[in-house]
Amino acid sequence: MSSSNTLLERRYAALGLMLIAPTVLVFCAVIIYPLVSAIYLSFFNIFTPTLEGEWVGLSNYTELLQTGQFWSALGNTLIWTIGTLSLQIIFGIAMALVLHQNIWFRSLARSLILFPYFISTVVAVLVWKWLFNDLYGIMNHLLISAGIIDFPMDFLGTMPNAMVSVILVGAWKYFPFVVIAVLARLQSIPDALYEAAKIDGAGPIARFFDVTLPQLREVLVVIILLRAIWDFKEFDLIFLLTGGGPINDTQTLPLLVYQEAFALNDMGRASAYAVVMMAIMLVFMIVYIRRTRSEGGS
Amino acid sequence: MAEVIFSEVKKSFGAFTAVHGLNLHITEGEFVSLLGPSGCGKTTTLRMLAGLEFPTSGDIQIGDRVVNDIPPGQRDIAMVFQSYALYPHMSVADNIAYPLKKRGVGKADRSIAVAKTAELLQLTELLKRKPRQLSGGQQQRVALGRALVRDPKVFLLDEPLSNLDAKLRGYMRVELVELHRRLGRTMVYVTHDQLEAMTMSDRIAVMEGGVLQQFAPPAEVYAAPANRFVASFIGTPGMTLMDGALSRQGGTWRFEAPGISMDVGALNDRAEPGGACLGVRPEHVLIGQGPVNGTIQVVEKTGHENIVIIGLEGGQRLTGRVPAPQSWSIGENVQLSLDAEQAHIFGPGPHGPRLNLPSNVATPDLKSAAN
Repeated sequence: MSSSNTLLERRYAALGLMLIAPTVLVFCAVIIYPLVSAIYLSFFNIFTPTLEGEWVGLSNYTELLQTGQFWSALGNTLIWTIGTLSLQIIFGIAMALVLHQNIWFRSLARSLILFPYFISTVVAVLVWKWLFNDLYGIMNHLLISAGIIDFPMDFLGTMPNAMVSVILVGAWKYFPFVVIAVLARLQSIPDALYEAAKIDGAGPIARFFDVTLPQLREVLVVIILLRAIWDFKEFDLIFLLTGGGPINDTQTLPLLVYQEAFALNDMGRASAYAVVMMAIMLVFMIVYIRRTRSEGGS
Repeated sequence: MAEVIFSEVKKSFGAFTAVHGLNLHITEGEFVSLLGPSGCGKTTTLRMLAGLEFPTSGDIQIGDRVVNDIPPGQRDIAMVFQSYALYPHMSVADNIAYPLKKRGVGKADRSIAVAKTAELLQLTELLKRKPRQLSGGQQQRVALGRALVRDPKVFLLDEPLSNLDAKLRGYMRVELVELHRRLGRTMVYVTHDQLEAMTMSDRIAVMEGGVLQQFAPPAEVYAAPANRFVASFIGTPGMTLMDGALSRQGGTWRFEAPGISMDVGALNDRAEPGGACLGVRPEHVLIGQGPVNGTIQVVEKTGHENIVIIGLEGGQRLTGRVPAPQSWSIGENVQLSLDAEQAHIFGPGPHGPRLNLPSNVATPDLKSAAN
């Protein structure tokens, strides 16, 4: 191709480079530089306030693999991610199916359903903390009034309540994303497929499993991968709701990184945690990229 | 096999009525086309028969059952959709087997039925492929296979050929006729393509504005259109329709329009003096000699014949059809006559009824009004 390039083609190529150059520069400044510097810092023992320290080689990594805190944080991260993601997917699909029906308040409901997703995390968490409060929270009030419990429950201060609460609030906050994506796909499934299935003798449940679900498969793979990546690195919601407690029972990897970097002032070890986190997420990312690429190719 | 009966079937969507009091009796084993322009109610009619729409009033009967309240899956019908509606994630074999699976047919029996259907439609080589790996014609055959596999009482076909190219369409027309002959099943076929309807059907139901205009064999629809709409819709190039006036002359009638005046003989008892319409098919315009004067305005050469459009002295235009060796140049003055025995007279208005007697005899007395 290059040998047969005409002058015009070369000019277009030069113009193209010029046009993407600013993006590439910004990308390098905000993604490549922090990435490389995190990897670099992870080989040092660094005191955060001064950012000074000594070369320790791989010892940050060997230490983190030996400490229980890393493994328990990884376990918490997996429980949180799998728990909240499963609920997001189940409620998201269910709600998308409801909103796809020809119900009279459909437009209003479609707008309202996005509310948790658009609301700021800080605001959402504050509201949920009030709801969960053991002295004046409406949750305890309702449960006691209904006779389900006799004494107020500690939603955020004991286990497993704290993890369950965090997972539920995460599901509430992020399921609208699933609703939007699934609803968009649902609307593009041709009616003729459902009609053909009806004539072929498929009832509503068979139509869901034989027509709807296979048609949602591709979009669900993408949603699950994206949400898995985002939930895996979720920080603010958990930090604000429980701060990782009780003790470290809801402490996920991002919270651990924060703790190492800014509470224990060990930027080197924090960087090592972050790099390991990134390696784990890289697996999801590679799957996601392969998935979207093969979709584009077909 | 079963007959299909529509009795006073009406379908409204809110204030809009798509089908008005339809009465249609399709006999066992018949191939019937529902033909009409877009929005004429033909697809709605088919969808009501399929159970995908429900009639606002009236009854639909398949065999000896009124099916109004019977869901599509239990009507013992099969349908081929315009878009084929193949299940994209299933292989060809699974697509064809699906209706059997949903009816609880065992795996072994399903395989036998699929193999048999695939052989009939020459799909055996393609059974493992997914629909997206097939050409339009192949997908169409798979859709047919899915309909055929369970041997339903009635086949419904919703413009199944409209997404194919012209050559394949011609081929599939022949295939479908052959299939109908072999299976002997009742088939209801929706199309807006009069060529498909004319070539394939035992009878054609011409619809317009949700109203059945005529239900008759193709030859009759062509030779004796029930009203002006049918006359204008059927035939390519279309029938020339000239507005004029009828007057009674003793026991016979006379039609006059600018440039044309002719005795049309006896008409049926719906004929009234006043506005009327004369219809002449292109092949019944005899160019060369005759009492009518005209000027050649357009000549369309199609290879085996030429279509000529002739301007008459009164400003009317007439379409004629002549074998290819004969040709005229534009602007040439010609004399012509109309085959009065084949002329059609319709009442006034876009749906003016046919006024010819069933025997369709008119006096061959043509002359130019200008003379």
